Amino acid sequence: MDSSNDEAVDIIVTNVVATFRTRCHLNLRTIALEGINVIYKPEVGKVLMKLRKPRITASIWSSGKIICTGATSEDEAKLGARRLARCLQKLGFKVNFSAFKVVNVLAVCSMPFSIHLVDFTKNNRPIASYEPELHPAATYRIKNLKATIQVFSTGSLTVTGPNVQNVATAVEQVYPLLFECRKPLCK
Amino acid sequence: MPRRSTRCPGCGSSNIVDDSLYCQKQQVCADCGSVVSEGSLAQEPYNGPDISYSRTTAVKKKPCANLVQGLERVKEMSRILRVRREVEELALIYYKQAYEHKTFLNVTLLRKEILGGCCVLASCRQQKWPVTIGTICYLVNGDPAVVGEVYQEMIQVLNIQAPTFCVTNFVEAHCQEYKIGPGDVPDELAEESKVLAKRAIALVELAADSWIVTGRQPLPIMIAAVYLAWQSLKPNMQRLKMSLEKFCKLGKVQKSKVAGTRTMEMKEMLYKLGKEIPWYKPVLTPENVVSQIGDILQHRYSLLRRAMKSFELSVLEKCPVNSPRRDPPPPR
Repeated sequence: MDSSNDEAVDIIVTNVVATFRTRCHLNLRTIALEGINVIYKPEVGKVLMKLRKPRITASIWSSGKIICTGATSEDEAKLGARRLARCLQKLGFKVNFSAFKVVNVLAVCSMPFSIHLVDFTKNNRPIASYEPELHPAATYRIKNLKATIQVFSTGSLTVTGPNVQNVATAVEQVYPLLFECRKPLCK
Repeated sequence: MPRRSTRCPGCGSSNIVDDSLYCQKQQVCADCGSVVSEGSLAQEPYNGPDISYSRTTAVKKKPCANLVQGLERVKEMSRILRVRREVEELALIYYKQAYEHKTFLNVTLLRKEILGGCCVLASCRQQKWPVTIGTICYLVNGDPAVVGEVYQEMIQVLNIQAPTFCVTNFVEAHCQEYKIGPGDVPDELAEESKVLAKRAIALVELAADSWIVTGRQPLPIMIAAVYLAWQSLKPNMQRLKMSLEKFCKLGKVQKSKVAGTRTMEMKEMLYKLGKEIPWYKPVLTPENVVSQIGDILQHRYSLLRRAMKSFELSVLEKCPVNSPRRDPPPPR
């Protein structure tokens, strides 16, 4: 979607997590017995409901709080949440769709070059951390955006942030730092 | 002695005297003996230094038993690793500071022990003493993920920076673990630790240049490098036929599953470089490249340049002249 060089870098949003409230108590047994595509987990106290379109999975608690995961965009997450609320309304609950909030966005991105992780960590010392014995990627945390970027030596990036805009900004911010530590063309 | 002109409430007499018989000043009526007023001990002026309440009523404060035990454990770990005195002292300081922070004050004893290990690790890194996280996990008997988590928290809490080491720093210490000195095994298989370490370091540096090291666990790479270095120092039939597993048994070192893959990757890399040797006429394969490792390491920079150039030429031959310049893939 955006890059600071002539080559465009595609940022693919793979997962959006959103929460909302129904403002009414939900009877999980009723949902489990009468709902379609549901899985009841009494040991945890929740019901999983899966929608086909958009492809999302929702965890429903009896307090009326619901977490939706699996959407590929913020709009899709909202659409899925509304559809879910409609399903619950049809089951007979007095649902009031409120407090919808996108909590987490996960995106992947691939740089057209490999990256020297040791140099990258040395240049960005307190913000970047790399422990090869624990995880093969270097972690770069941007505090003001609340975004975390995991940088792999192949050039793949995994970005998590509170919304899509922050994720895009994080990739823009980190691109020049990665470009400095790319694999050299020849020795 | 009669004092002020107060009157006794009992008999109305004004003959009131001061009586300090019981060390508490009292005004007593001389006629009927009733106490008119008595001073209070607290009203007496105190001319000494100010004493705070906590000092007057405090029991002597003892240091927390777990803290003392934790500090002893940190000392023990430092002595097992045989680190310098400054490293040990720094680790103790970090442990004390981190222990008293609210993040670590109410955690389990296991986590506090892991914290001790992490303090040792941080101080070793700052004082440039190579220690791996694997060693610390072994000392505290903890899961690497948990140790990593505690380490990251501790770094944030103490607000310190501890630079990581690259693999080459650990190779020498790793080589000393192998029991393949002249006294331990037959002469054909024996190798001096220093000589072995030097060649293994060169192999690891070459692997790092060829992108085998980045993002991978350091231990399998070190095992592979030591194995290939040992084979190449005296490439006789006995050594060349010995597998990695048997070599690890010989050196009494635990073999890692991934070490075999790393050995293959290194051999591929050495084969690609070995092909560029102009004076080697016989057909080179990844199997018989071990005998050429000495030459490859000696001329590695020029061989790397030649390999890059020949790859670029082959790419240009395939694509037409106007194709954009592309990065050649690293020799793996």
